[in-house]
Amino acid sequence: MSIRRVGVLLSKEFLYGSKSYIFIFAVVGPIVISIVLSLIFGTWLSEKPRLGVMDEGSSQLVSMIQEKNSVESIEYGTVSEMKKAVESGSIDAGIVLPSGFDSSIIRGEMTEIKAYIWGESLAKSRTIIGVTISSLARELAGQETPIEIETTTLGDEVSMPWSDRLLPFIVLMAVFLGGLLLPATSLANEKEKKTLGALTVTPTSIGDVFLAKGMLGFILSLFMGVLILALNQAFGAEPILLTVLLALGAIMATELGVMLGAYVKDFATIFTIWKSAGIILFAPAIIYLFPQIPGWIGRIFPTYYVTQPIVEISQLGGSWADIATNTFVLIAIDIVLIIILLFILRRKQYEITGGN
Amino acid sequence: MNWRIVGTLVSKDLSLFFRKRAITVLTFVGLIFYLVIYFVMPSSVDENLKIGLYSPFSLPASIQLNEEGLDITAVDSEASLKEGVIDGQYIVGISLPDDVIEKLNSGQKPKISLYFTPDVPQEIKDAVEVLISELAYMQTGQTLALDVSEEILGPDMLGTQIPPRDRLRPLLAVFIIMMELLGLANLISEEVERRTAHALLVTPTTVTELFVAKSIAGIGLAFVQAVLIMVIIGGMNTQPFVVLVTLLLGAALATGVSFLIAARAKDFMSVMSWSFPVLIILIIPSFTVMFPGVITGWVKIIPSYYLVDTIHRAANYGSGWADVWLNLLILLGFTLVITWAGIFVLRRKFQ
Repeated sequence: MSIRRVGVLLSKEFLYGSKSYIFIFAVVGPIVISIVLSLIFGTWLSEKPRLGVMDEGSSQLVSMIQEKNSVESIEYGTVSEMKKAVESGSIDAGIVLPSGFDSSIIRGEMTEIKAYIWGESLAKSRTIIGVTISSLARELAGQETPIEIETTTLGDEVSMPWSDRLLPFIVLMAVFLGGLLLPATSLANEKEKKTLGALTVTPTSIGDVFLAKGMLGFILSLFMGVLILALNQAFGAEPILLTVLLALGAIMATELGVMLGAYVKDFATIFTIWKSAGIILFAPAIIYLFPQIPGWIGRIFPTYYVTQPIVEISQLGGSWADIATNTFVLIAIDIVLIIILLFILRRKQYEITGGN
Repeated sequence: MNWRIVGTLVSKDLSLFFRKRAITVLTFVGLIFYLVIYFVMPSSVDENLKIGLYSPFSLPASIQLNEEGLDITAVDSEASLKEGVIDGQYIVGISLPDDVIEKLNSGQKPKISLYFTPDVPQEIKDAVEVLISELAYMQTGQTLALDVSEEILGPDMLGTQIPPRDRLRPLLAVFIIMMELLGLANLISEEVERRTAHALLVTPTTVTELFVAKSIAGIGLAFVQAVLIMVIIGGMNTQPFVVLVTLLLGAALATGVSFLIAARAKDFMSVMSWSFPVLIILIIPSFTVMFPGVITGWVKIIPSYYLVDTIHRAANYGSGWADVWLNLLILLGFTLVITWAGIFVLRRKFQ
């Protein structure tokens, strides 16, 4: 193996590989997915009931609802606009405040408000909206709360909102898109065009080619992992440790990518494998999304040992002691994969270079 | 039209597709994993706020908590209340003091303790506080001169909400169908680029027979997989014929789109680069089912909306032909136009 030749091959990979569709996809994909998923799960999957308000006068209740944390309020200009929003499920309910609402409530006169309820709105959302309106109307009428409430938080578990639960998925996507797909498709491309065989009649060895392609995947994978953590403000207090963990994850992704490239002859097969077996890679992240699924199931999958330490450090404020065991398992997986890869390379060298 | 030739071409395409054992196995593995995703999703909707209540005395009828959306369990001690909250049995634990009634009746403010776990969202904490205050107002006889007249828009699903896993049905169907357009587009573009299509056309095979064969192969592959999945996940339990026809039209739509992509693409990479933006656009309407209200009316310009909406209505609400005929008509229209456009551009490429 020649370091100089690997360097030359790597620079060529950067020069030509960076123009490939997969390279662009591996860079743009995780960023777009990160933004879209954060929007979907961070904003739209909130448990807060959504209440629409159409004020025919100038009621103070509108601003009081906006300040209330128990509901999310949206103001509408017309009843039809609000009804359309209720029908589509954009809001759980919409109320029409008649002109002179505040003065009627303050005077204690019977006041009627019209409420439109979305048929698929949950019972608890309807209750919360109902009591919130009543409570605010009482406040407006000058009634004093007859009780004192003391809130106590039990246990020491840390709250995990949807946007945080998605982090492992986004990180895995960033690390494995580049680390796995780039070397695999690049090798398949060389095999399809028979350029791999041509390369190996020069002093370049098959090991040099695989190492160069693997390094490109590793660099892109690590870069994307760091970028995604930075974009999600998840570097926490241990940026160096997190970078090391990402590097170990990138090594795993690259090893799997090179292995795939060694076995597979065309893009179609790589794509089919990504489409179906890719779910194995993302299984720990999917399990993490749903706390109802027993956590031990995640441990079956190798990528658990990438995601768990990253989550522990970036979201739960853990330290080396909390992740040491899983990190050693990750290192062991990386070493086993390298041994398998070397074995595959030795056995399949002739096949890989284009022989039959 | 020579149906023997068409049959031969179809079997050739299918054998090419299934020749790679890895692809065949992985296609089935993929289907199994989609099923796993479906079955690990929650199968019910938790509509109620689960509340634990500790009261050292029996509550008078006036403050029985019978609001809809509340699932209240009385516990016999404060310790078991806290234990229930920590174990996740209740989202909130309410502990009433001994003197709550006396203090309320004498105009004093009793202190009511609420117990939450740290993962309860702030909005739920606030909502429970508002709820308790409202009950206290009622207990102290403070009336509110407010009458709320309610009108439910759409079918009232209270108590019969669609579980998250069933909301996945249209997404799974559209995903499986649309993913097959990649395979078919690749198959056709390979034929064009390797000029095997031209070779076929010097035999008695006509361009029409070639297209019919490709369409049957494409529709068949997508349709069979989608039907299989829908049967397993219970998508055929209500209105099976409506669902079948919709899936068939969806498979035909995907085939038409794959013709268009194949006419533009040169190899698998360009098939991918053309297919992914198209796939993303076609999958967008599924979000209207998974996250109602997220996407506004513009989504109706996407042909797959009519596939998603029909599957959702038929499989999840039991809508019949009378409810979805317009959707099916529009889907058929889109399918015909797209397939015609695909055949038109591909035919020009063949010639």
